[in-house]
Amino acid sequence: MSLHRKSRKYHKWLMLFVGLQFVIWSVTGAYMVIFDIDYIHGDSLVSDNQASLKSEQINYSISEIYTVHPEAKEIELSSLLGDAVYRFNEGKNKYLISADTGKSLTPISDDDAVLIAKHKYNDANVKIKQISLITENPPFELSARHLPVWRIDFDEFASPSFYISVHTGELVTKRHTFWRIFDWMFSFHVMDYVEEDASNKLLLAFVVLSLVASLFGIVLTYFRLWKQNGNKKQRVRKVV
Amino acid sequence: MRLIKLLHKWLSLLVALQLLIWLGSGLFFNLMDHSKTRGNEFLIKAPELTAIDHERLLEPSDILNNIKLKQMAKPVNSLKQIELLGQPYYLLNHHLGLYDHFYNEHSLINAYTGEVLIIDEYMAQVIASSSYSGVSNISSSLKVSPPIDDFPKELNTVWQMNFADELNTSVYIDASSGRLVGHSNDDKRFADFFFMLHFMDYGTLGSFNNWQIVFFAILTLLFCMTGLFWTLELLIKGRYKVR
Repeated sequence: MSLHRKSRKYHKWLMLFVGLQFVIWSVTGAYMVIFDIDYIHGDSLVSDNQASLKSEQINYSISEIYTVHPEAKEIELSSLLGDAVYRFNEGKNKYLISADTGKSLTPISDDDAVLIAKHKYNDANVKIKQISLITENPPFELSARHLPVWRIDFDEFASPSFYISVHTGELVTKRHTFWRIFDWMFSFHVMDYVEEDASNKLLLAFVVLSLVASLFGIVLTYFRLWKQNGNKKQRVRKVV
Repeated sequence: MRLIKLLHKWLSLLVALQLLIWLGSGLFFNLMDHSKTRGNEFLIKAPELTAIDHERLLEPSDILNNIKLKQMAKPVNSLKQIELLGQPYYLLNHHLGLYDHFYNEHSLINAYTGEVLIIDEYMAQVIASSSYSGVSNISSSLKVSPPIDDFPKELNTVWQMNFADELNTSVYIDASSGRLVGHSNDDKRFADFFFMLHFMDYGTLGSFNNWQIVFFAILTLLFCMTGLFWTLELLIKGRYKVR
């Protein structure tokens, strides 16, 4: 069998098995490169809150924190909805207290979660579609280490969701439809439908077969475009 | 159908090389040793925390008042207790970026004395060395403004500390906060080269959203779809026969 015919046979047969994955690679790849990654990550959904602290806001000292929580670590003073707050860890517990009174502000209520979400959202007039408390079995898009959280779904284009920590009041992550689709696209691109890990055996098998199939394809390109056109010219010359 | 076949043949000529690069670099990502290509060969993961003497800590409200006195009238978004080289500091944020690697402005104040700490070359060297488990010394150090080749997404000015080891390890320290941006070495740079190829990121902006890859992605999408239709035609016409 000539190289040309051999290549045609193997290209045809290999592509029967890996061809669909080529379509998946090209569809998912095109999606991922066309949508701007910063848009995908929902960065444009978050407002640019530069909230400056004033010393008058702080009437509860850190030495008072240490009397109640002697093992407090990583104390941070910042703002939440315009009020000064302390956040810190003690052991495995997270705390959020008022820097004015020292009063605990947790667990964050549903009303507070909505206020925080609206404050963090880029559009102050945003409408809320629904709110839910997640304490276990987080959805695929949420890491279990963030639990428990309030999920706030906005009634906006591409169904954005903000996840607000019940223990810290922080925006732990965000998602919208195009990011959710992106996650699916990536899974299918690397052929790992569970952990999104590119070093899996299925992908290895497909990439190796695809490389072989493509090399036969290149041989075909040579024969069909180069040689055949060349032959045609020769034929035309002979006829002439 | 003739048009589809004609398209498939000519597109193959246009995308052939890039397709091989994608498959080849994809194969590399599949097989590469992730523990090496992270660039963290000599990274000390969790530096030990020393005990803080609570009695000696200055109060955050005093720090804020003092800043006004010193006419460093920058607004303060947050004040965070951190530790650098066994000493407690307050990390003050003056401009808050959404992530650490976005543009941020910080200052550091010694939590015992109230003195301002500037991350100068010497401090950056000491911080870098404290995160480095190798035995080599720093051979050169320089302050780099973004874009930073080893960390293209980093938008803050950093100190680059180059260690004289066999992997050419570089350690990056945020020049305003003392934050360890990360380690890089020749293994990571080797993998980064393949990412650059896979993402067609020839300006090495650390991004796969560039016009050349969008152009080739669309051509390749057409190429694969025409191939799919061709295969379907062969199937329908019964050209797949096992002899």
